[in-house]
Amino acid sequence: MTDVRAPHADPLADPQRDQLADPLADPDEQEAGRPASADFGLADWARWAWRQLTSMRIALILLFLLALGSVPGSMLPQEGTNPAGVAQYFTSHPALAPLLNHLGLFNVFGAPWFAAIYLLLFASLVGCVVPRTFRLAGSARTLPPRAPRYLTRLPRSAEYASALPPGQAAEVAAKVLAGRGFRLRRPAADAADGDWVSAEKGYLREVGNLLFHLALLGVLVSVALGGLFGYKADRLLIQGQSFADTPIGLDEFYPGRFVTSNDLPPFSITLDQFDASYIASGAQRGQPSAFDAQVSYTATPAGPVRTDHIEVNKPLSVDGAKVYLIGHGYAPVFKVTDARGQVVYDQATPFISGASGNFLSEGVVKVTDAQPQQLGFSGIFVPTAVEVGGVLESVFPAADNPVVSLIAYAGNLGVNSGVPQSVYQMDTTGMQRLTADPQVLAPGQSLKLPGGQGTITFTGYQQWVSLAITHDPGQLPALICGMAALGGLLLSFMVRRRRVFVRARARETGSTVQVGGLARTDASGGFEAEFASLAAELRSAHDQAVPSHPSAPSAHDQAIRHEGE
Amino acid sequence: MFKTKRRLVVLGAAVLAAAALVIVLVAGWAGSGHRDVTDVDGNASAVLYTAGHQPLAPDFTATTLTGAKLNFAAYRGQVVVLNFWGSWCGPCREEAPTLAVAAEQYKSAGVDFLGVDVRDTTASAEAFTRNFGITYPSVSDAGSVITLDFTSVVPIAGTPTTLVIDRTGHIAGAVFGPTTMGELTAMLAKVTGQAA
Amino acid sequence: MPVNLTLGHVSNDFLIAALIIYSLAVVAFAGDFAFGRPRRAGAAARVQDREPAAALAAVGAPGATAADSVADGGTVPGDGDAPGGPAASTGPPPPVSGSVPDSMPELQVPALRAIGQAGPWVRVAMALSVAGVLAHTGAVVTRGLAVHRAPWGNMYEFVTALTCVAALFFLFVMIRYRAWALGVFVLGAVVITLGLTETLIYTAAGQLVPALQSYWLSIHVTAMTLSTGIFFVAAVLGGVYLAVDRYTRRVAAGRARPGNALVRRLPTIEQLDRLTYRTIVFGFPVWTFGVIAGAIWADQAWGRYWGWDPVETWAFITWVLYAAFLHARATAGWRGRRAHYIQLLGFTSLMFNILVVQVFIAGLHSYAGVS
Repeated sequence: MTDVRAPHADPLADPQRDQLADPLADPDEQEAGRPASADFGLADWARWAWRQLTSMRIALILLFLLALGSVPGSMLPQEGTNPAGVAQYFTSHPALAPLLNHLGLFNVFGAPWFAAIYLLLFASLVGCVVPRTFRLAGSARTLPPRAPRYLTRLPRSAEYASALPPGQAAEVAAKVLAGRGFRLRRPAADAADGDWVSAEKGYLREVGNLLFHLALLGVLVSVALGGLFGYKADRLLIQGQSFADTPIGLDEFYPGRFVTSNDLPPFSITLDQFDASYIASGAQRGQPSAFDAQVSYTATPAGPVRTDHIEVNKPLSVDGAKVYLIGHGYAPVFKVTDARGQVVYDQATPFISGASGNFLSEGVVKVTDAQPQQLGFSGIFVPTAVEVGGVLESVFPAADNPVVSLIAYAGNLGVNSGVPQSVYQMDTTGMQRLTADPQVLAPGQSLKLPGGQGTITFTGYQQWVSLAITHDPGQLPALICGMAALGGLLLSFMVRRRRVFVRARARETGSTVQVGGLARTDASGGFEAEFASLAAELRSAHDQAVPSHPSAPSAHDQAIRHEGE
Repeated sequence: MFKTKRRLVVLGAAVLAAAALVIVLVAGWAGSGHRDVTDVDGNASAVLYTAGHQPLAPDFTATTLTGAKLNFAAYRGQVVVLNFWGSWCGPCREEAPTLAVAAEQYKSAGVDFLGVDVRDTTASAEAFTRNFGITYPSVSDAGSVITLDFTSVVPIAGTPTTLVIDRTGHIAGAVFGPTTMGELTAMLAKVTGQAA
Repeated sequence: MPVNLTLGHVSNDFLIAALIIYSLAVVAFAGDFAFGRPRRAGAAARVQDREPAAALAAVGAPGATAADSVADGGTVPGDGDAPGGPAASTGPPPPVSGSVPDSMPELQVPALRAIGQAGPWVRVAMALSVAGVLAHTGAVVTRGLAVHRAPWGNMYEFVTALTCVAALFFLFVMIRYRAWALGVFVLGAVVITLGLTETLIYTAAGQLVPALQSYWLSIHVTAMTLSTGIFFVAAVLGGVYLAVDRYTRRVAAGRARPGNALVRRLPTIEQLDRLTYRTIVFGFPVWTFGVIAGAIWADQAWGRYWGWDPVETWAFITWVLYAAFLHARATAGWRGRRAHYIQLLGFTSLMFNILVVQVFIAGLHSYAGVS
């Protein structure tokens, strides 16, 4: 990335090399200096700031900041993906957490300071890339420089004799180089500096470089567009249940700013069956081996019913949205009869598995309309229960021996005030505990509550799946830009900018041909091989060509001979 | 001449950078629409639709909580208060007494109350209606299909939501959130053309 | 399909064999340092990369005649008794002449002869290296056959495979650039890594969890394996560069005696720098492709192509740091030592990602399989 102010800088030049020619010409060094003049106006300051921003050094620093800024986003729980973890962090670090929150460290990738870093980086990128694009377009017509006098001083050179007169030798060389795709420059008709050919190749490198950087910008824009016009949603679905793709039917709904509920495709999905299989024996006992959710769905309410499987790595595509199988668990079925003998609760209740492994799950049953008092139960579901030292443990994730263990409460659940509550949590502050110890129930067993408050029966269990529904219109553009970036990267790495010069000087019989070549110093190599084969091809072309008017030297030759070498 | 070209180049670069900046800033502002839809936050907003902008309420047939079949088309010609609720929904419990009273009050005025019980089970729903003395019927919408239909004409984001439907079957007003007696009476006055 | 436990055991045997053979190769390389044939390359052969000022300035620029005198290119460590480097010629001999090698001169003497001329220690070391790489590859392949899928599904398999890539790649580099002086460092690193892997995170051949049962394993993880193996080599070379650079600076400051025998056998600073650069240039697009493939797979499995999962974030950090390395090479004041610090920082973040983030930080991408 060179400075806008140095349009004549040879793109092939290594800035360090430039310093040999002109110590003041290094753009990076120059930008570091402060403006000297006293009456430096606002426009000049702006220009200085812009030049600083688009310098390689600042780009480097911004890259470091981007990397460094991402670190807390991976170490601390983030609000977007792990809100429970954030809450947990607040309770376990009461002094530190508010400070971190203030700095935006619980939402790093949405924080203004992180946005500032990548925005500045992209501004710097655009500020470099756009002028270079113009320059590249302009250089499509510029010619390579003239051949130096002494080609043997170049990094690669070869010299041999040829029977051809110098003018013809140069012609033959030009043909060979043109055949290899080089852009040529020949001496002007009236120039007296001998017979030479200048050839340059590898302009695609800059194209690749620019394509890469512009494609990165494209990725950023695609991500932004996806955020504006896309949406994400979650739904936990118990076996047998169905839901429609509308906000009420979803558990979580994250629409982009320009998305309304009307934009949701009106599909409905029913979970017919869910199967999870686990490895039953060996070193990997208990590890899941397959998940399979059998669903039936309609794309529109009146449309035909279709069936399909949703598995991990195999989402369901429905009307522009994709439905993913994210997780699963158990939902024990409870039937609660209140003090008045009425059945006030009879449904499968999703329990959530915790960290203890093998799907030991926790949940609550809130019976909000039991009379005369509201009832609540908090408990665990153990799929394959084994009692170890008085503690219930699950030893296998499949429900081979399911039991629940419940603690019963009665009183005020706190839902009547209208404040929303999570269905997975129960506030027992307004309640009194009915059972001293947790009560264990096998399927079919009931627990009679003391004081005639009612009964709860554990009738069985169902399984649930959690589905993610997403729509991201920026996905495909991001992929295309990503591939374009990769293509540009490969192009810029594999194509070398290189120059080859051929000079022919007259001798007694024919001419001495010198071939010289160089490539950018940071090229990834391989130029030696190319130069060797090019030199060999030139040589054989020179050997095969028949000299024309071998005894009549051209005007050029005469001029050269008089000059001497 | 060269200087103007350079200025144009710099200007072009600045415009591009500004455009990218705007897009990304908009995106940051854009992705922030999270709505927890299990129930509305207790902030109701009551809306009356002006004439000509009243969407037509979709028809539906469903089963009530008691197991009877109900055809919504049969309600055409009456004013209907359609309430989307669930027994699991906190703010629904807050407004339930109001609805129970209002239903009795407006019975003689020819206003029918109908509930749409979303994402619920029969036992819990019946316990709820019993508890709050709700005598008007509710249809079961466990799969949210009726809600889906209505959401295409009115932006129903959560429960409770109450719609007031006039005699021609058009939705004249909506309350997004728990409703109050004042709001209900005001809306019904407009729709029935008389104070109850 | 059930796991073939016999083949799993065969894979383990191959790996142990590879470890032993590599260790012997490292000893042989070290022996070459201590007892091997002296190299032709002395301080005089520190050929500078020639600034082709002639090509840039106007025709007839004052030539740097001092540079011409080194035109017979010195030999590079490893040529041993090879005929004196390419000399300028005007006759029929090889068309490439009079050129200063700006890379290690790999075209002059055929590889096998160069190895032979380098002395018995190098011959033994190279033979052992090849045997070790074959055993290592055998371990990876049999593991794949045992589990009926690409053998990089957990951390143990991943590290085994990436060190195999590193060793294979380095073998190619050693032969192509006659850089056996670097053998002790790279293979030594491979031995240490493999040894730690075997002892600390060994996992028996087994099935993968459903999330990993996808053809994307062969695409995304393969790309990550390849690029990590390549970056592994670049990191070791970077370490050697920094050590030689430090020595050179200490000599210049008068705090160390010049002419250290070890340093003299190593490639020049410029050669190390260029080799490292080329290695990273090779690995960076593969890493980029791996990240993109990972994003596509994430979309298939988790519903979003980028969610700032800890592993995703650290892969991004690694990418940014290697990008910073490439930028540093084009920025005055950041070439040389600083660029290599950046490169090593990038590799550290890569290793941190694999060893710490995947294992200890909870996220969607916790597939290490390490308990």
